[in-house]
Amino acid sequence: MNVLKRNNVNVSGTGTQPMVFVHGFGCNQHMWRLVAPAFESRYRVVLLDLVGAGQSDLAAYDPARYTTLEAHAQDVLDVVHALDLHDVVLVGHSVSAMISVLAAIREPERFAKLVLVTPSPRYLNDVGYTGGFEPGDIKELLDTMDDNYLGWSTAMTPAIMGHPERPELSAELNNSFCNTDPAIARHFARVTFLSDNRADLPRLRTPALILQCADDVLAPQVVGTYLHQQLRHSELVVLDTSGHCPHLSEPQATIAAMDLFLGARV
Amino acid sequence: MHKVDHDIMPALDLRLTAENPDDLYEHAPCGYCSCLPDGTLVKLNQTLLGWLGYTRQELVARLTLSQLLTVGGRLHYEMHCAPLLLLQGQVREVSYSLRRRDGSTLPVLLNAVLQRDADGQPLVVRMTLFDITDRRKYEQELLRAKAKAEAQREQLRAQNEQLTRINADLDSFVYTASHDLKQPVHNLAGLFEELQRSATFHDPAAADMMGMVQGAMQQILSTIEGLTAVVQQQRQPEPGATEPVELLGLTEEIIRSLAQLPAHAEAEFALDFAAAPVVHMSRPNLHSVLTNLLSNALKYTEPGRRPRITVSTTLVEGKPVLSVQDNGRGLNLARHGGELFQLFRRFHPEVAGSGVGLYLVNRLVHQAGGRVEVASTVGQGTTFRLYLPK
Repeated sequence: MNVLKRNNVNVSGTGTQPMVFVHGFGCNQHMWRLVAPAFESRYRVVLLDLVGAGQSDLAAYDPARYTTLEAHAQDVLDVVHALDLHDVVLVGHSVSAMISVLAAIREPERFAKLVLVTPSPRYLNDVGYTGGFEPGDIKELLDTMDDNYLGWSTAMTPAIMGHPERPELSAELNNSFCNTDPAIARHFARVTFLSDNRADLPRLRTPALILQCADDVLAPQVVGTYLHQQLRHSELVVLDTSGHCPHLSEPQATIAAMDLFLGARV
Repeated sequence: MHKVDHDIMPALDLRLTAENPDDLYEHAPCGYCSCLPDGTLVKLNQTLLGWLGYTRQELVARLTLSQLLTVGGRLHYEMHCAPLLLLQGQVREVSYSLRRRDGSTLPVLLNAVLQRDADGQPLVVRMTLFDITDRRKYEQELLRAKAKAEAQREQLRAQNEQLTRINADLDSFVYTASHDLKQPVHNLAGLFEELQRSATFHDPAAADMMGMVQGAMQQILSTIEGLTAVVQQQRQPEPGATEPVELLGLTEEIIRSLAQLPAHAEAEFALDFAAAPVVHMSRPNLHSVLTNLLSNALKYTEPGRRPRITVSTTLVEGKPVLSVQDNGRGLNLARHGGELFQLFRRFHPEVAGSGVGLYLVNRLVHQAGGRVEVASTVGQGTTFRLYLPK
């Protein structure tokens, strides 16, 4: 099995220290395109698609294997091994922030620092814990995904696959950036929103930056504060922006916060 | 500009030019709204406010559009739509449900475009919303039907798999049974022959009984041979190689090979292949087909009537039809027609047979891409017509 092909790994940049970006739920490595280029002159930038997303090998998405985030964490480690990366800065967004935490717990010697963009260790409310959501909300999300079958699906991609000589067809595809197989998206949504990694947090020894948005429905500030308390070597930075994707809505502020954390001359 | 328009369309109904842009915006048959890049609502039309049941003051600068969606929709918007807008500048045909002031929901389809300022910074998001109440119902009906069809397909697949397995088991059972029975029955026949020669029986009925035992043994052997033939045919899914077969030579050869049948000596054969002297089929398969049909014609003769068997070809729509006609005892097709080609089905228990012949004939002709037709009258005779491919 070719790990680099499986996770559609793309390497760029002229630096030596590796910086690995892992996208969150609902999109793919395109999500980093306003942020990653800023690090290319100083780092070896590694982009990847989680198995089941983007241009990864969809056939490798075995629902039985990917029932927890641990399997994705292992995939990230597979990529780190395949490229023989050390002293890695691992940047994970949303669910992949937790995937990054799990990977760094498994093999701490490989990682220098973590950047956790809008992370949450658990989305569902629990006794003494506010995640922000009730099980009914997750059911509603799955229903919305079903209603948007076409938007999420590769149902339209046979048109592209059937005409590789006509790339303009893919440009006409609606919402084409984040298309994915609807069955996989549904399964991954379940795994993501029913995950609970609170117990793993004290096991992380790698220094971590928590990038929190001021107003984020998916990762509210109470969750960022909770994480900051649970992660021993963490810094919390609240960006003055709303939404769940500061790397898209506030790329400059995101880059600046990362630089500060990573000790660059700003 | 306006002058030019009038020049192009001089006959335009003046009522059309009376359309007021503000009124068009406010009361358009779709909802309009504009939001800041962070989602904060800055402008909504009356149609949308009417759908939602909110006043303008309650929403503008207070809420974001995603806060007007169901929680599931809001999650979807933040994870999928918001990033897509920033990545590709627009989203189209995203299906959500608006949550009205009174808590009820309204299914809508959302299109959105991100406007950027001169520096390329996100400025405003324009959105149109369409009421799709009925369409959503159809879609959900379709989704339900799809889920049902998928469940049924899965069920069929499982059943199919089970049947295929059972079929394979049956095949190997029949193969094993026929194979394992053959040797002991042959031994039994040999021993019985030896016994007949060396032993003496005092019972006057013994000679008859010996004959009956011999007959029964022959019957068992022919059934086993029939089974072996069927299994061999079934285990060979690919039809044999097609070749031109000269019918006269093949038919004469088969007739000679059937000389041991009692009716053979007095039977009268008429062969006429002038219309189609050569057919294209696997030679061994055609051999088997004709042997079965001719031996049937010689076996099921009408007592007291000299057997007359005609084998001939005609052309129907340019394709050869091979006929085997006899003047034997015939069949009641109205009663037995449906079972004629079934395995082990017998219609003349008084004549020895295994019930395999016609089953094989039918299968082999079908495999060659043809079909079999039967015409028969009880007491007068039977005609088999094989419609063969060109």
